[in-house]
Amino acid sequence: MRVRSVRTAAVLAAAAMTAAVAGCSSSSSSSPAASGPVKLAFWGWAPGYAQSVALWNKSHPDIQVSFDTTASGSKGGYTKMLTAVKAGNAPCLAQVGYETLPSFAAAGALQDVTRYASADKSQFAGWTWNQVTIDGQTYGAPVDTAPMALLYRKDLFTKYGITTPPTTWAQYAADAAKVHKADPSVYLGDFGNDAYNYAGLAWQAGAQWFGTSGNQWQVSMDSAANQKVASFWQGLESKGLLKNDPSYDPSLYSDMAKGTILSDVNAVWDTPVLASSVKSTSGDWAVAPMPVWNAADPQYGNDGGSATTVLKGCKDAQQATEFAMWMSTNAASLSNLIKVTGIYPAATSGLTNPALSAPDPFYGGQTIFDVFKSEMPDINTGWQWGPTMTQTSTDLGDGLGSVETGNAQLPGVLSTVQTKTVSELKQQGLSVSGG
Amino acid sequence: MTTATPEPPAAAGPRTRGARTRGPRPAPARAAEPRPGPRAAGQQRRQARTAAAFIAPFAVLFAGMYLAPIGYTVYQSLFRVHHSGLGLSAPTTVFAGLSNYGTALDDPAFRGSLLRVLLIGIVQVPVMLVLALVLALLLDARTTLFKRFFRLAFFLPYALPGVIGAIMWSYLVAPGLSPITAAAHHLGLQLNLTSNALLAPTIGNMLTWGWTGYNMLIIYSALQAIPAELSEAAKMDGCSPLRIAWHIKIPMVRPALVLTTVFSVIGTAQLYNEPAILHNVAPNLSSDYTPIFAAYDQINADNFNAAAAESVILAVLAFALSFGFLKFMQRRGEAL
Repeated sequence: MRVRSVRTAAVLAAAAMTAAVAGCSSSSSSSPAASGPVKLAFWGWAPGYAQSVALWNKSHPDIQVSFDTTASGSKGGYTKMLTAVKAGNAPCLAQVGYETLPSFAAAGALQDVTRYASADKSQFAGWTWNQVTIDGQTYGAPVDTAPMALLYRKDLFTKYGITTPPTTWAQYAADAAKVHKADPSVYLGDFGNDAYNYAGLAWQAGAQWFGTSGNQWQVSMDSAANQKVASFWQGLESKGLLKNDPSYDPSLYSDMAKGTILSDVNAVWDTPVLASSVKSTSGDWAVAPMPVWNAADPQYGNDGGSATTVLKGCKDAQQATEFAMWMSTNAASLSNLIKVTGIYPAATSGLTNPALSAPDPFYGGQTIFDVFKSEMPDINTGWQWGPTMTQTSTDLGDGLGSVETGNAQLPGVLSTVQTKTVSELKQQGLSVSGG
Repeated sequence: MTTATPEPPAAAGPRTRGARTRGPRPAPARAAEPRPGPRAAGQQRRQARTAAAFIAPFAVLFAGMYLAPIGYTVYQSLFRVHHSGLGLSAPTTVFAGLSNYGTALDDPAFRGSLLRVLLIGIVQVPVMLVLALVLALLLDARTTLFKRFFRLAFFLPYALPGVIGAIMWSYLVAPGLSPITAAAHHLGLQLNLTSNALLAPTIGNMLTWGWTGYNMLIIYSALQAIPAELSEAAKMDGCSPLRIAWHIKIPMVRPALVLTTVFSVIGTAQLYNEPAILHNVAPNLSSDYTPIFAAYDQINADNFNAAAAESVILAVLAFALSFGFLKFMQRRGEAL
């Protein structure tokens, strides 16, 4: 079985090569003294970022940014960034989700750019600025927020007798039963294994995961509010009313294209992802607000949103910050990001961007951003992420995978993740309550 | 992670043994030189330089790609990052002695992953090697037909890249796709090959499918090296083919069996490909399923020091198991 070890070695060697190559690209970014333009490297994965970078490069000959597409954060992108920081050859700029930003700060991977950034604070929605500012230190520019909605097959909803998309979770459960009864091979939705999608569902219910009091962390993934959300989804799972394809898996899109999965509760940035994944059903989809717990007092969820951060070791932090702010606020850049990436801008000026009112042919010509815009006032902006999100999301993803394969129950999974998160915090030497 | 030093087993292998007796003997030739005159000394120096030139590329690569990473890993495992307050600012690195090792061994998830590969190894390695031995003996038997065809057929799974084999198997066991599950369903059986209970057997099956042919070929080539006279003599004495296999062939291929066991132990300790691919269709396969998974998990969580400690523990255990087995067998071999 020696070949296996050879393969491991090959993987390690490839990783080393990547680091070495990365070293080449970013080492050139540290020569502002020379007469040539400042060169900045930028790592990220979102589609559309490269086009915004190209726009910047055209209008800023003195500061040239090169965009490198990495694997998405949780699929190895963050590991690559943290490793590069550790190795001292990280790029100046990196796409980091709000959920992972505290973990990056805790790893000492971010550079404090408060003195270059603070002047731009007023350009952003207050809570998004708080996502990139930890302990009074700002680490970059917020790009977007990620309100969630119900993306659904309009034609098939009609076919199965659902005249209006469910507005409450109770209706959602009833519709799930109705559809599955009409045709046992058809499901209203999918229960995937993406921890952050699930976090959005908890967020909506006001079921905080992390909090701080004084110098102490509080972990509340096991709280009553969280157990309420968990019981609801476990109930649908136990009755077999949801399909169990892994999140963002080809099998999910295959089922959606076949018409055996009729809807998905997902974030605004998923709208172009879905459109490119099930092209054959273009025009049949529509977007409605996500179902709520209490129709009289609707609250919506958020799944994602990210920042352009400046990584530790950047020698041109001022220029890097300038670019980050430009990308998040420039009208042309935002138009591109709204169209291609499907962002909902964090910059207040972005909310009047004409791209937001463009009809989307995949969604039957609907102006989908109107839906997300209508949800924005009812999204809880007090949600807080902990410093161990990599571990927490990995463990929750494992647990969700066990739930969807019938090997575990969701309420129990949350208790397990709570325990593991508390012990991880303790292992890092942080004080924590709620163990 | 990188204890795959095949040197000790290779020394026990039949091929090396042959080479040792037949190969050139530079040492006696040098000893035969009566007096090292100035000319001879120059020649010696030149020879040493030539030897050094030949060894240098290996030595440099070995030191740079093998010894240095191991040394760095051990060094890293002796430190830990220290956070203060809410831990949202840059941490400091402090010397931790062996505490990372204690933490790793105290972690039920990591212990569980070690135990899991140990159990998979205890069951899968003997099954695979017995199968490989039986197949090799059948190929070696005089009366077997279509030897070449079977030799190739058994070896073929190994010729396929391991990841491709794993992808194929993951589709064969995936719920909703698996023809095996469908067939079992027809017989009235509820069979989910990716349920928690059946994950390990499924992985064991993937390993056995992929590696039996490879081990068979090693054992088979050892069988080929047995002088035909031995079997003939036994046959003249009235020994049945089964008894020839048991009393002559199997004892003669013992070194090959030891070699394949050692390789298999090391390979199982480094289990990664099969579960990693299987995870795509079995999301219940946890992200710390094997020790390498667990170490990678720690890297993802920016805990390089813990990952280093876990890697060292895995390497030491794999080394102890494979080298211990080798020494044990050698001692027994001497006693026989």
